[in-house]
Amino acid sequence: MIQIRNLTKYYGKGESRFKALDDVSVCIKDGEFIVILGASGSGKSTFLNVISGLETMDSGSVSYDEKRLEKMNEKELTRFRRDNTAYIFQQYYLLPHLTVEKNIKMGADLDHNRDFFPAMEAVGLADKRKKFPSELSGGEQQRVAIARALAKNPKVLFLDEPTGALDENTGRLVLDYIIKLQAKQSFTMIMVTHNANIAETADRIIRMNSGKIVGITENTEKKTAYEIGW
Amino acid sequence: MIVSVKDSLKLFGISIMTCCAVTVCNLFLNYYLDLSAIAALIDNPAAQMFYDAQLMTAKVVCAVSGGCLAATTVVMLFFYIKHYIDSHSKEIGILKALGYSDFKIAKDFFVFGLSVLIGCLAGYLLSFMIMPGFYAKQNADGYLPDMAIRIHGILFVLLVLLPSLLFAFISVGYSLLKLNQPCVNLLKGIVKSKGKNRDIKNKNSFVAEMRCSVLRSRKTLVFFIVFSSFCFSAMIQMSTSMKDLASEMMGLMIFLIGVVLAFTTLYIAVISVIRSNQKNIIMMRVFGYESTDCKRAVLDGYRPAAYIGFVIGSVYQYALLRIMVDIVFAGVEGVPEYKFDFPVCFITLCAFIIVYEGIMFAYGQSMKRISLKQIMSD
Repeated sequence: MIQIRNLTKYYGKGESRFKALDDVSVCIKDGEFIVILGASGSGKSTFLNVISGLETMDSGSVSYDEKRLEKMNEKELTRFRRDNTAYIFQQYYLLPHLTVEKNIKMGADLDHNRDFFPAMEAVGLADKRKKFPSELSGGEQQRVAIARALAKNPKVLFLDEPTGALDENTGRLVLDYIIKLQAKQSFTMIMVTHNANIAETADRIIRMNSGKIVGITENTEKKTAYEIGW
Repeated sequence: MIVSVKDSLKLFGISIMTCCAVTVCNLFLNYYLDLSAIAALIDNPAAQMFYDAQLMTAKVVCAVSGGCLAATTVVMLFFYIKHYIDSHSKEIGILKALGYSDFKIAKDFFVFGLSVLIGCLAGYLLSFMIMPGFYAKQNADGYLPDMAIRIHGILFVLLVLLPSLLFAFISVGYSLLKLNQPCVNLLKGIVKSKGKNRDIKNKNSFVAEMRCSVLRSRKTLVFFIVFSSFCFSAMIQMSTSMKDLASEMMGLMIFLIGVVLAFTTLYIAVISVIRSNQKNIIMMRVFGYESTDCKRAVLDGYRPAAYIGFVIGSVYQYALLRIMVDIVFAGVEGVPEYKFDFPVCFITLCAFIIVYEGIMFAYGQSMKRISLKQIMSD
């Protein structure tokens, strides 16, 4: 379980200092699929970065069971990320000089996972394992990023606008992959998006505005990636 | 204007390199020309032999150091331009998308010649500052008649104006070549990998695979690492070995040039390795790889190249001094016997290990300071 209490984060100094996160509290259960929904500048990405240990907080606490992020130093945070989390970004961030399989191996090695071929197969890229990222389409690159994240068998998967750079067809395909894999492997999934339609696929929707949570909705009518509007 | 004068001034590595090259070349060529002018005044066989050896030394030193430094400067310039185009690909892509021709963009790179001009001018002036002492040391035994230092205009043209113009044109030509790619590739920053799709070896860790890939994709940097180790090894060993064969001043000059070149090239190489792998390092750390893993993946692959450079430098300095003693000074009396100096080689190796590993350690530590937030704000 992830317990977030009174999380506050500031950016800038002096007169330009502003509150990016304002006393945010929420509890996320294991195996849950959460969507953080909000407009640009609402603080959703900052929230994701702080609770995933990529950024520090100014006050408040983030607990993963007994582990407290705010008490960890940089080395401990790195170990925490290695053992617990994986990320998928809007811009993929694949390593350009490595082939598909070597990019996936980056995630797999951290879990001593020598058999990462299933992760490659799961995203339908087994036949493109020798290609370089520049030889793939945007959707294929994002699927490599998904396989890289999943090959590490994370307990929590963080996604920052994973379909933001994709067209509708590819976006639906990628989203469908992610949702099915989450349902199959039961890891906790926290996704940031500004697209209200995508939020309909989640178990719970957290709405943010001006650094605050303005609403949490249980989604009783979960839809698939092909049932939502785009 | 995509390239400004300020950008050119950042190419201090090229300025240092050209400064060293012009200092050495102008010193010896000026000496060569002044020596040639007194050929008729040599009136005894011993003086003639010494005179011929001095002429030959001047030619060899100019050809070896001048040629070597000029070649390295060209490689460094190419490297800078490629790096500049890669890191400004979006701005260049926008200009191309707006309709700017490759030549219109490339001609701005002419300003890179300025860094060569600054280096050449500094080297030219520096050589005249040390010239009186150099002339006196060269003729310390008084074999040759007194010789005045004359300024040869042709050397200013050949060593300052021509190289600056040549390098400016090379910059334009090379950037024109590098700009010849689809506009969309520049805009999206697409990296075309030239590596072979090698089979993955499951027994190799990701860090080992990454290390190989970094090495294959940055061959120019391997050259710089080899070159900097070569300079360190050859120049420092040569400067100490030359104490018996030439003046202390020559030894000191070679030592200083070696140290400056070694540090400049090593600094540029390591900085470039880290900058060009910044996103990869960040991604590795985001996924939970520790700083030591990042260092092993990005920097440690260059270690064999560094030690190979050291060995080549040792062999090179021995061969060069052997040639000097056996061929250039063959007929000169009183030239001491030259042997490979193992203690000096060992001390230089120890110093090299301390310097190289120290620099790598310092940059390994700097990896910890790379902000993970950068990847989110990109």
